[in-house]
Amino acid sequence: MWRLNKVRHKAAGRHGDSLEELKLKRREHERALRQARRDRQLVSKRLLLNEDEDQPEVTMDTNSGEQDVVSLFHKLQQTGSEREARLKALSKALRDPSAQLAFIKQENSMHLLVGFLTGSDATCRLQAVRCLHELSHSPHTNVAPACLPATPYLLTYLSGQSTKFTELCLYTLGNLCPESDVVKEKLLAQGIIPALANCIENQRHNLAVVEAVGFTLSQLLQAKDAAEKIIPMVLASSLPSHLLSVLTPDPDFGLAPAIECAWCLHYLTCSTEDNRVLLAHGALLKCSSLLVSLGAAVAEGNKEEGMELLICPLLRCVGNLLSSCPVEDLSTQVGDVHIVVALCALLQAYLQTQPALARESAWVLNNLTAYSSALCSALLTFNLVPGLIQLLPFSQGINTMILRALANIAHKKKEFCVQLAHLGLLSALCATLKMADQEMVTLSMDVLFMLVVSGPQVAEEFVRQSGLSLLEAIQYNSKGDIRRRATHLLEHHLLSYSVDTPCS
Amino acid sequence: MQQPESVRPLTTERHHPTGDTHELRPRETEQGNPFTFTPQLIHLHKDHELFEDGDITRHMYLQDLYISEADDKPTLSVSEFACHISGCSAVFSTLEEYEHHYNSLHRHVCCSCRRSLPSARLLDIHIQEWHDSLFAILAQRQDMYQCLVEGCGQKFRTSKLRKDHLIRLHKYPPDFRFDKTKKDRGTRETKRQQQKDTAMEVADDVCESEGVCEVMCDVLSNQLEHGESMETHVSQEEARMAKSDSTEEHADLSAAAHGAGNTSTEATKPRYSYRVPTSVCFGHGSVRGFRGRRGRRK
Repeated sequence: MWRLNKVRHKAAGRHGDSLEELKLKRREHERALRQARRDRQLVSKRLLLNEDEDQPEVTMDTNSGEQDVVSLFHKLQQTGSEREARLKALSKALRDPSAQLAFIKQENSMHLLVGFLTGSDATCRLQAVRCLHELSHSPHTNVAPACLPATPYLLTYLSGQSTKFTELCLYTLGNLCPESDVVKEKLLAQGIIPALANCIENQRHNLAVVEAVGFTLSQLLQAKDAAEKIIPMVLASSLPSHLLSVLTPDPDFGLAPAIECAWCLHYLTCSTEDNRVLLAHGALLKCSSLLVSLGAAVAEGNKEEGMELLICPLLRCVGNLLSSCPVEDLSTQVGDVHIVVALCALLQAYLQTQPALARESAWVLNNLTAYSSALCSALLTFNLVPGLIQLLPFSQGINTMILRALANIAHKKKEFCVQLAHLGLLSALCATLKMADQEMVTLSMDVLFMLVVSGPQVAEEFVRQSGLSLLEAIQYNSKGDIRRRATHLLEHHLLSYSVDTPCS
Repeated sequence: MQQPESVRPLTTERHHPTGDTHELRPRETEQGNPFTFTPQLIHLHKDHELFEDGDITRHMYLQDLYISEADDKPTLSVSEFACHISGCSAVFSTLEEYEHHYNSLHRHVCCSCRRSLPSARLLDIHIQEWHDSLFAILAQRQDMYQCLVEGCGQKFRTSKLRKDHLIRLHKYPPDFRFDKTKKDRGTRETKRQQQKDTAMEVADDVCESEGVCEVMCDVLSNQLEHGESMETHVSQEEARMAKSDSTEEHADLSAAAHGAGNTSTEATKPRYSYRVPTSVCFGHGSVRGFRGRRGRRK
């Protein structure tokens, strides 16, 4: 299990790497992941370590590893004692990728393992599943599929009660899921979804197992065609309600199970625009209340390690569920208007350290304010607008989203426009209108229009802030729709404010 | 590659249940309202680029590479500012730079010849001396050429006399840039020929798409580069353009082009359109370039 309070820090000195080299490796790894995502090939596997292990140790001597594996395999084919010890040795040897290859090349090697997996010796079963787990984690593409004969048994064992054993089965299955469409189809046919549903239901007090179920399910849900084949089955099962019930993190166990379940929910909500099933389960209510408490914790400075791993999928769930939620249900589904307070807290807290998270928070804010006068009003009442205005300089999607949210507020009623102008949005617009980003300029013009027509005092203030000369300059912009907006404002709404009248 | 993202429009006045696909309606029923904003719900698909960073963090965590403190601080970027004036590609990192650029190069621009002057006063003097035919007549009989130094108040019969005065009394350099006479307009310097003429490029784009006449293209291409505000150039067309009769001619041409090119209200009111020939000003000397109608500003 991955308990974040035991986050493994890559110690300096391991394999002779300096801190700089480690940083470099991380950066390279990150780059590879980004490319994989662009290629729609972003897939990860997890390795469950032995109790006595602290870090995944891989022996450097591959030749002996291969030889070990082959000789162990031969010995295991003979009946006799010491099978447990040999299986344990085999599982250790199978950590090495070339040993993995060597093993599956041996004829009947998988048959042997399955035999132990289903045999009467419980310890041998455990060691056998450990071997399978190592194989499932292999970087070689033809190793993991070799484990397919074992899957029906792994699925059967999910209804068992042994924690460690069940965990290993789950992570092995989870590693096998993304291998290929063939593997996925087999697993689906063998009933992986009902098996996972039963497992999480029966073992819901065992958070290590719950975390493992969450991981395995998330692997299934990331499939490219998940929306057609997998997601409908998942939504029809009892899994959604179980996932939601796990979302509130257990203070003792940590965030990990909640993280896995939240990511499952994210994959469910983003793959389709029709989220009625999840809404009916109260998903929006649950996720948004959780965000409220997390946001409050963050605002107080209680940034628990790894919290953003949970906040990120929760934000996404709320954002996408909102876009499926009928307007009239909004108040019941969202519940607490303090969600806007939480979002602004998250925006401020993560702006410098995780701008992407800030951007996602701004996106959710847009979706919250699009339909709801109450939530717009809340932003004003809780005095959150000045803070939002201060974020308008930040690019890469942050300012455009925030300006959209502010525009949503202005769009509701004229009184809001007057308040927004009073809180400094007007002078902020005089700056955003000069930005290079055309989307910002166009949006700013639209917001300016709403503010200016809301009342004469706003128009006057704009003129006082040298707005007319700004608009006149904008009339020379190379983009026609920007020019037209400026002209329209000058000619229809600010005409009375010019001192000179042209003698045409 | 198109991002899988769907945006659902919302009808403005009343909230409607989901599933409605009303067209975006402008808020005002005013004719030709160009403002298009309406609140929109945004649904983001799994592979949307907005999700990239979060996905990477997630997978780094799965692969045991997550650390709570980032190695390098992620770069939070700030929006740049850009000059609005079409053809000017200047970009700035602060508002102050933007304002300085604009005030120096675009504020006091003569709409007759597109020259940029550093102050309102110099612009007034320029317009008067270069584009006001009445001035030319009066100058034959009176001292009309004002001293350029504010507060001096002296006037001279010719620009040469004024120049001597500036050099003698006010210690100005003999080649003061803002005191060129019309006759000083030399041929276009070769240096500027080689410069990337962005105004020309933009003009070409506009011309091609809008079908504006060739003469207008020439006019636009004769515009000064913004950095060389006071350099002069001569061309027969430009000399012609300064006269009011050809102005009207070109105004007609441009109006015709506009009429063919687009249906915006600008066709009837070309005052503020980039595509209007530069020499069209309503009342020579009264509306001055970008200062427009709002009167003098200090």
